[in-house]
Amino acid sequence: MFDSYLIREDSLENFVCPESGKVLGFKFAVRIADYRGCILSLHNGYYITVDGVEYPRELQRFQVNGKAPRDFEEIKKCVWEHWNYDDEAYVYVEKEGGLEPGVHHIGLMQSVLAQYGYAPHDEEWIKNPPVPGKGAGAGKTQFVCYYDLELQK
Amino acid sequence: MGIKRGVSLYSYQQAQFFKQLDWKAQVKEVREGLGTDGIEIIDQATIRDYPFPSEEFCYDWRSYLARYNMKAVTMDVYLDVLQFRDHVMSYTEGAERLKNDLHLAKKLGFANVRCLSGVPVEVIEMALPTAEELGVRIGKEIHAPNPIRLHEGQQPRVNMFGKAMDGSLVEEILSLADRTGSKFVGLVPDFGIFQHSPSDVAIDYVKRHVKKPEAVDFIRENCTNYTTAEIVKLLEEKYPEHGIDPMNIERMMLHESSAVAEDLREIVPYIVSMHGKFYHMTEIPGQPGHYHDASIDYETPIRILNEEGFTGYIDSEYEGQRDQQDRGKEYLPDGVEEVRRHHEMLQRLFDATPNKADL
Repeated sequence: MFDSYLIREDSLENFVCPESGKVLGFKFAVRIADYRGCILSLHNGYYITVDGVEYPRELQRFQVNGKAPRDFEEIKKCVWEHWNYDDEAYVYVEKEGGLEPGVHHIGLMQSVLAQYGYAPHDEEWIKNPPVPGKGAGAGKTQFVCYYDLELQK
Repeated sequence: MGIKRGVSLYSYQQAQFFKQLDWKAQVKEVREGLGTDGIEIIDQATIRDYPFPSEEFCYDWRSYLARYNMKAVTMDVYLDVLQFRDHVMSYTEGAERLKNDLHLAKKLGFANVRCLSGVPVEVIEMALPTAEELGVRIGKEIHAPNPIRLHEGQQPRVNMFGKAMDGSLVEEILSLADRTGSKFVGLVPDFGIFQHSPSDVAIDYVKRHVKKPEAVDFIRENCTNYTTAEIVKLLEEKYPEHGIDPMNIERMMLHESSAVAEDLREIVPYIVSMHGKFYHMTEIPGQPGHYHDASIDYETPIRILNEEGFTGYIDSEYEGQRDQQDRGKEYLPDGVEEVRRHHEMLQRLFDATPNKADL
């Protein structure tokens, strides 16, 4: 679902530390791979590759609802906040120096642990949340989607 | 009287995603494009800031529906049991979510809420007093691969977690309704239970994403001759590295519906509203301007609903868009046109036979 449209094509940018002006990483704008929004706490991060290099959840932060970017440990606590279906969010990825100018090949799969009721894996996913990229929480887009995006600015 | 036409705004999910139609434009399309009044929503797609929409949103919703003389039929609600992340939601906590959804539905003027097939009946029973108090009915969805009831000698299908779909979903709801005497619990059958083959858009999608598209044709040609296990083996032999995952093999194997239309007769009094699931409306050969979804039987169930005097809503639920969003924008389908065609079909079939309620 929305396979070709989960990342906005003109949204890939490096981001800088406002104080030092140093480039800390890159960011891009995403939409949810589902037909409904989600309770924010269910967002378990992304599987992300750029030009074949994987950037795990620990390097990711998520910016939504007009708030500063939050890491996924923080997001996990947002049990009463909603990521609305209509809204774009930004994924920030830590990478010293950011990305080089030019086109980058980006792979993306979300892990949002939204469900339609109880499932055999429930207790396991509480104890050991699944690592994004294997399909858990991929919503209605059960594989990694790839995008060739030009770095803006 | 007769059966009524409605639309789940789910049908317009793609136009909403691309900011072509917001909820107001969607409601207006149902009134002006389809000439009807039934509205169903996905709570977490339409209600901004669910589960705490602003007073402004709620008033605006009721006011806008009033302006176009619309009827808020059913609100579809969910059960995300991992919401709290530090423990699995208990049944009592699940019931609290459902009760809150019932309050929200009431506030937005909905007559019913739709619970998913996977919601335990215990959760529904715990929320039933709230439904009674508010006058909002709870309808549990009968979604494929559920049957309405299991027939003698029939092997139950299994869901994605290996659970047998043995007809207990319907039995449990009928028994709860009969035991409590409550009119506030019932069923929401989805026409997906009358789907007998994969849609052409699903077949094309799978073909675009596997290494051996001809293996998909092989499945379609042989789906009635072999079991899924046999097909898996044959595929390995004939098309090594075909690249079709088990879920899609299952999808491509579909050759009979999960429910029998005749079984609708016994549940008509319990139907809260229905989901008119469809994937692709195409012109019926030799009948210009008349459309059908070639993968789902609508004709038989609607005839039976008319014979039984069903006068509730069938709400269109267009789902074919998701199999056409893997390419450029020029390949995206037009959800508005698909729903218009679906309503041509619905009204034509409603009118094809007399409704018992009118006799």
